[in-house]
Amino acid sequence: MEFLIDSFLSAILLLWSFNPDVYFIIYVSLKVSLSSTLIASLLGIPTGFMISFKEFRGKRGVITVLNSLMALPTVVVGLLVYAFISRRGLLGILDLLYTQTAMVIGQVILIFPIVTSLTIAATSRVDERYRKTAMTLGASPLQTALVIFGETRFGIMAGVIAAFGRVISEIGISMMLGGNAKGYTRNMTTAMALEYDKGEFVLGVALGMVLLLISLSINILFNHIQGRSRV
Amino acid sequence: MLYEINHLKKIYGERTVLDIPELVLEKGIIYSLQGPNGSGKTTLLEILGLLIPPTSGELNYGNTRIDFVGDNLTYLRREIVMVQQDPVLFTTTVHKNLEFGLRVRGVSKRERGKIIRESLDLVKMHGFVDAEAHNLSGGETQRVAIAQALVCSPKVMLFDEPTSSVDVESQVDIENIIKEINSQKKISIIFTTHNLTQASRLSSRVISLFEGGLTSQRSQNIFNGRIITDGQGNRSCLIQDKINLPAKTEKTGDVKLSIDPAKVMIFPDGEPVFGENTFVGRLVQMTYEHNGVRAIADIGVPLNILLSRKEARDNRLCVGDELRISFPSDAAEVL
Repeated sequence: MEFLIDSFLSAILLLWSFNPDVYFIIYVSLKVSLSSTLIASLLGIPTGFMISFKEFRGKRGVITVLNSLMALPTVVVGLLVYAFISRRGLLGILDLLYTQTAMVIGQVILIFPIVTSLTIAATSRVDERYRKTAMTLGASPLQTALVIFGETRFGIMAGVIAAFGRVISEIGISMMLGGNAKGYTRNMTTAMALEYDKGEFVLGVALGMVLLLISLSINILFNHIQGRSRV
Repeated sequence: MLYEINHLKKIYGERTVLDIPELVLEKGIIYSLQGPNGSGKTTLLEILGLLIPPTSGELNYGNTRIDFVGDNLTYLRREIVMVQQDPVLFTTTVHKNLEFGLRVRGVSKRERGKIIRESLDLVKMHGFVDAEAHNLSGGETQRVAIAQALVCSPKVMLFDEPTSSVDVESQVDIENIIKEINSQKKISIIFTTHNLTQASRLSSRVISLFEGGLTSQRSQNIFNGRIITDGQGNRSCLIQDKINLPAKTEKTGDVKLSIDPAKVMIFPDGEPVFGENTFVGRLVQMTYEHNGVRAIADIGVPLNILLSRKEARDNRLCVGDELRISFPSDAAEVL
């Protein structure tokens, strides 16, 4: 117990000291995770809309596959992307392995099904009358989609937040594709794993606290926005 | 000519919900699509609003044949606005709800404010411009939905059961608004209703629908019945286990029977009446209509009767009177 309290106090001191190495690790985590969440959202939300509103053969199958891919293990994505971007891989010439770009690519693949599936879930539940109202008022298909987006924004936002939560806390992709290079690709989760291997817990606990704080802040912000719009 | 329909069908799965061989609607007047639930009123209205395509057949809007594909549809739709039954407003303010139709039409911001104010004035909702739409009552929502359609300056307005989800006071207001829109703004109006009195009161022409098809005015008195055969082999239709009417039909079992309200005759107390299809009932409602007076008599089931104004006047009818009612056998038809 004493050990835990000591680690906790030392972690607070470490964060308070504004150690540049610690803050660079946090910066890498946020930069990579926000980038991958943004790209996955830009790809996943329109895809979710298209699947939700277009009728095509095999639609049910596509939705089932996307739902299954929500539980995709990070190491599987790591391995798959590794096979493509390693020196011997198809995209080896781009020299992406052990870069932040590689981490972003892996994370986008990881959360694209989450954003898409949760967008489908949110939009397929929306009242059909909203679509008809927008159409009859003269909206084009794109303007109609934007109305539906407006009405389902909280469901979609919840999906984006879930996706962000998944990438900021994942370790498999960051380790396999980023390589945990200090000052370059080391992020909060890979740094915590390294500290654990070394038997040093202070930095691990400090980063764990930051991770929890980020997660809590995003949820508070989301609830605040949701609450304000419903007053 | 506003719309022209030829051999229009809408089929869902195995079920034909609409089958109209021919129909022409003229510009500038109020039409009502009247019929019971499931008669295809809303489906027809949504096709006329270019919101859903028919399965087969031809729809012409003015001189344009509608093919239900391509960008052209969005531009044509901007001339026709439909107010849905139990309408929904977007989750924002009344102002932004009304602004939507103007924004998609590229109306400048300065003009938008003026148009929105005018439309809210017409529906008597000027005080609600900044209100959150989802806080409005059913009647208020209906009025804002009408204003939302009005700001688009449509050539045609379609209303799906415009008064079905509002109280009696709001019903009268909404009917007056619809009449005002037609007379002042010269907008063609088509509305659906299952209420025959409202259809006759509000519209210049009633189009009756039954089970997806057009039908004559006779469909106003439609009753669920059962064909029974007596000991001599004579067939009759038993309506709601209360009234027995002779029926010329080959059908058996459960049927729907219609009685032409224009062929029903009334005989105030004292006059002798003979023959079949004679009943005693009580007058429960009288309504003024464009082409006469509609009376509803309770003969065990509510029976619509269409009278000329002279007939109504000469008979000195009063609600509550006991009447004898008769109609010839060709007034009843098994559907």
